[in-house]
Amino acid sequence: MTWDPRSKAAIAGVGTSQFARDTGLTTTQMIANALRAALDDSGLAIGDIDGLYVNAGGDFDKMAEQLGMKVGYAMQFWTHGRMCAPTLQQAALSVAAGLATHIACVYSIDISERGGGFGGGRSHGHEEYREGGGTHGEMAHYGLTHPGSGAAMAWQKYRHRYGATQEQLGAVATTTREYASLNPLALMQQTYTLEDYLASRFVIEPLRLLDCAVVNDGAVCVIVTTAERARDLRKKPVYIAGMDGLHAGRDEFVFAPPGLGIWQQPQSNAAARATSVYERAGVVRSDIDGFYCLDSFSPLVIFALEEFGFCKPGEAAPWVAEGNTRLGAKLPVNTNGGHLSEGMLGGWAHQVEIVRQLRGECGRRQITDARVLQFAMGQGVSNIYSNEKL
Amino acid sequence: MSQERPLPVITEQNRGYWAAAARQELVMPHCTQCDKVFFPIAPVCPFCFAADPDWKKVSGRGRVSSFVIFQQAFFAFFKNRLPYAVVQVELDEGPRINANLFDLKPEEIRIGLPVEVTFEKVNDEITLPQFRPLVRGT
Repeated sequence: MTWDPRSKAAIAGVGTSQFARDTGLTTTQMIANALRAALDDSGLAIGDIDGLYVNAGGDFDKMAEQLGMKVGYAMQFWTHGRMCAPTLQQAALSVAAGLATHIACVYSIDISERGGGFGGGRSHGHEEYREGGGTHGEMAHYGLTHPGSGAAMAWQKYRHRYGATQEQLGAVATTTREYASLNPLALMQQTYTLEDYLASRFVIEPLRLLDCAVVNDGAVCVIVTTAERARDLRKKPVYIAGMDGLHAGRDEFVFAPPGLGIWQQPQSNAAARATSVYERAGVVRSDIDGFYCLDSFSPLVIFALEEFGFCKPGEAAPWVAEGNTRLGAKLPVNTNGGHLSEGMLGGWAHQVEIVRQLRGECGRRQITDARVLQFAMGQGVSNIYSNEKL
Repeated sequence: MSQERPLPVITEQNRGYWAAAARQELVMPHCTQCDKVFFPIAPVCPFCFAADPDWKKVSGRGRVSSFVIFQQAFFAFFKNRLPYAVVQVELDEGPRINANLFDLKPEEIRIGLPVEVTFEKVNDEITLPQFRPLVRGT
């Protein structure tokens, strides 16, 4: 019989730096600010932190040295948002196994320093050529130079297959920004009508400017500890109830649901991905009170809702357009405003929002009686969280 | 921003592909064990893990599987090409590759459009496989 990690670990504290287009700060400075906020949130001191898991923002040893940490368990993950949930999964397993007690998981991004963000600028194609081709499908010699191009390619195929409309996609862009207007932390506070959306310029057609994430600087820290230890700390624990890992291989493309036939993916009109995350968390899909997914480009929300079975293939676009993801509706989605408007923090600000929702700290955007929330994204990775020990 | 065209880096893994393109031939990595062609270029066959794939010339014909139209240039080089299309082409032999589509206005591109390979010479080392609409009867 295998060991069951359900609700063995919990989030003890969350913190963020300021999110801004250009903070003028280094990633280590921003991480220091986020870490301080997370320590305050948890009631822990820097000396209590004995694990450091870095998703992005620098090298773990330089970071520990500069932040005055003494950790016995450090890890370095790959600098992409796809590693957000896996970083937290490894932290949860590590504390549950007794390898560390309080693990600071950190992420920082400094896009302003890249001089033009992804897709060009000072890096001059580094992102596009790494691994013999960009990891979002980039190929700069053909001018396929931006992560958004992979999402645009996928949305083009999706709308051709299912007859989805640009107005339906616009519902993701406008709904997410309604939420952002209720989040003081969000970089974009402005709301947009569908007319505003349709009037916004194409960047990589069929994606418009309002389909793309904010480009910004910022940092997030999430402190993971055991379920037992979390009960003694300042805030109500948020348990990591269920986990499912990141899938990889020729069937997967970062910005397309399985079976869409993007890049080398097979084409099939398959149903949702077989995921054990609900079973592992001890819940069923209808228990999910809110859904959080990586939304660097608005089609990703539609794809995630289908990949995780909230809608059948081809049905998520009209479902979102009907208003089902708004506050008070069937399934609130990305109540923080997501990457589209709160800020591009590699999925980490989504984790902060989940924790605050489950503690009831979200004011006007609070999901009533939120008990079980899910984070999920392309390639099958997902964490289910609860404020009860499931 | 640099005005130079971003170009692929030639490695021991992809040298055969670019050498063939310079001869105006489109080749795919080919497994000598299971006889499949595949993409992207890999050190082993992704279907049977056999080592040492060789290169096989393919027809250069296929259909547009998906496409995007860039309305913004992220590298200065592409500014005067705007708007330009990048197509994902499913070759008749199966693999999908990306390229630009020549000889057709971006707004006229459709998924399913039959296309054939053409070549754009950049310098002595690099010639890019590109596509154009398949001319009927050729």
